Amino acid sequence: MLQFSRFVAIRATLAVFTLVLVSFIVFSLMEMVPGDCAERYLAFKSSQGAVITAADIQAERVRLGLDQPYVQRWGHWIVNAFQGEFGDSCILRLNIRQLIGPKFWLSLGLCLSALLLAYAIAIPVGILAATSKNATVNNGLRFVSYLGLALPNFLLALMIMLFSTLVFGNSLTGLFSKEFRDAAWSVDKFVDFLSHAWLPVFILGWSATAFAIQTVRALMSDEVGKLYVTAARARGVSGRRLLMRYPARHALSPIINSLGFDLNRIFNELPIVALILTLTEAGSLLIEALARSNDQQLAGAIIFLLTASIVGINFITDIILALTDPRIRRSIIG
Amino acid sequence: MTNMTDTSSPVTEAAVNQKSKEAYFTASQGQLIWQRFKRNKSALAGAWVLIILILSGMFAPFLTPYEPTISGRDKDYLNGAPQIPSFCDSNGCSLRPFIYTSTRTRSIQTNFRWVTETDTSLEARRYLTFFTEGASYTYFEFNINLPGEALDFHVPGFKFDTHLFGVEPGMIHLFGTDSTGKDIFSRTLTAVNTSMAVGTIGVIIAFVLALAIGGISGYYGGWIDSVLQMFTDAMKTIPSIPLFMALAAFIPDVWSAEARFFFISMVLGLIGWTTLARRIRTHLLSERNQEYVLAAQLCGASPAHVIRRHLLPSFSSYIIVDLVISFPYMILSETALSFIGLGLKDPVNSLGVMLQNVTSADVLLNYQWYFIPVLFFIVLVLAFVFVGDGLRDAADPYSDSK
Repeated sequence: MLQFSRFVAIRATLAVFTLVLVSFIVFSLMEMVPGDCAERYLAFKSSQGAVITAADIQAERVRLGLDQPYVQRWGHWIVNAFQGEFGDSCILRLNIRQLIGPKFWLSLGLCLSALLLAYAIAIPVGILAATSKNATVNNGLRFVSYLGLALPNFLLALMIMLFSTLVFGNSLTGLFSKEFRDAAWSVDKFVDFLSHAWLPVFILGWSATAFAIQTVRALMSDEVGKLYVTAARARGVSGRRLLMRYPARHALSPIINSLGFDLNRIFNELPIVALILTLTEAGSLLIEALARSNDQQLAGAIIFLLTASIVGINFITDIILALTDPRIRRSIIG
Repeated sequence: MTNMTDTSSPVTEAAVNQKSKEAYFTASQGQLIWQRFKRNKSALAGAWVLIILILSGMFAPFLTPYEPTISGRDKDYLNGAPQIPSFCDSNGCSLRPFIYTSTRTRSIQTNFRWVTETDTSLEARRYLTFFTEGASYTYFEFNINLPGEALDFHVPGFKFDTHLFGVEPGMIHLFGTDSTGKDIFSRTLTAVNTSMAVGTIGVIIAFVLALAIGGISGYYGGWIDSVLQMFTDAMKTIPSIPLFMALAAFIPDVWSAEARFFFISMVLGLIGWTTLARRIRTHLLSERNQEYVLAAQLCGASPAHVIRRHLLPSFSSYIIVDLVISFPYMILSETALSFIGLGLKDPVNSLGVMLQNVTSADVLLNYQWYFIPVLFFIVLVLAFVFVGDGLRDAADPYSDSK
């Protein structure tokens, strides 16, 4: 037990350390961008008709603490970031936490459901592909996984929109029906949400699914030929029972490790898919923050939060793996 | 019969065997890879498709009838449907392919909407012409602007104005036109070229960075390796497209399209080096303790020399494979960025730029030919994937257990 908690502690420290490093990279990149928050805000104000002088910019800098040395500002930022506080947005002058809070959770929910769906499809299909001798099935799956790369999620979304517009006369966009858009959460709204959300969830998970099928298949085909499977078969175990009890348990535990990587893949697609499917409720805030307003603070906060979710997933999967896989448990606990 | 072959051929068969074995053992790494690659039919097909696409991208100014920019627009045929040349119709056949003349009218009868009418009579046929003279284009033209008047010079290059095909009179649009009347066929081929250029610059920068970081990390090992690996891991954890968006969003609006192009390609490279760096480091870590490295070090070779002359050649084939595999990712990232308006901008053509306005209901319902370039890019990326997979199998010396 003691060793296990030590393992958890080490993993947690590593995760925090990674986040600190990430925050440093993100913060530095945001610094390298020409112009700072003060200039940007005052440029915005001057476009609204106010007269701005160099002294105003300087005063604004002092007010925002931008005159302090770089490392000090970074330290300040990271301490606040770990408490979920990202200060005010550069241009909108609103608290970032309030601005992105609910949208971030909704986006994260969408992405996690996409991840779940991807694996719910990939694991049975991958196992089937590894054990099936049927050439058509195998070639078809190979083609699908190639397409997963060649037809990235946003092109798939475009194609589905084109298709559904031509066939159904409805482009299947948005997350809510009109009457629920501004309503409070209720059972009806949730049902309505589900009836709209399945498509974005599928599209978001699309390339992750294609890749996960490949991985599951490769891991399974390595395992099914091994002697312990033959031995089990000789003892009279067969069919699904054989697959699930013997090779699948071996093959699937490394897959848990790739969850974080796949979440990264899904996050990559989120802003663009959100834009195409007009999911104004979720990821398009990213695009707004990044593209439309040139908002360093907001962009930094969003990237930090996304990365933090990936680091979090990695931490959780490490723990799960240590708990469920006896091979790893042995190596930790001894 | 069996006896005959048994008695007569052993000598020759053995000789042939001997010869093929000798050829196998003396073949260079490149020859072996090529032999294995040739056997993979889908990879070979992918390679042909890739070569054709790259060449048609490079010779796009000749192969396409019009300029892909606003100066090549057809102001009488906006949002025009594809015009497919045909040889025969109800009025009889012709050896020379022809298209019909379309006129666009708008009147009270059509509720003031633009309506295209196609005149299919014999007189309205327009015949294709080949090696037509049209807009001029140059190859190998350079303008070098170094600081100081004396260092500026201009290489005029070669100027051509012949295009593979055209039509007389008027203009032909194989894939239709967009809302400003630009020819989608011309734009597509140019876009293939742009994507290849972005990919090439991105891959080269990623390669140099990966080589430097992975090389240092793998060669020295120890704490340098740990620090660099931590940095690489952190870099890998950050979702690249949001990061890329954040960086690209800050490009000043005053930058020219060319400056944007180079900046975008550079950022792609700056973000995309992590996987390759990891591979190089792993290879180096396993190779650096081999005796031939020790021998070189004892002879007084510098680390850079050992990496360059002894270690790199041992896995250069893997590096090439990884570069080919990372190419489609670069192209797709660029497309995604340009699509949301953060990447390349208008006078430069790329798939993303061309797809910028397709999500509107108007396009989805009425102008589906806007989507034709997508097919080209799926084929381009698939070709890269097939070639990359084929090369990976071919570069693996254990793939055929001889």
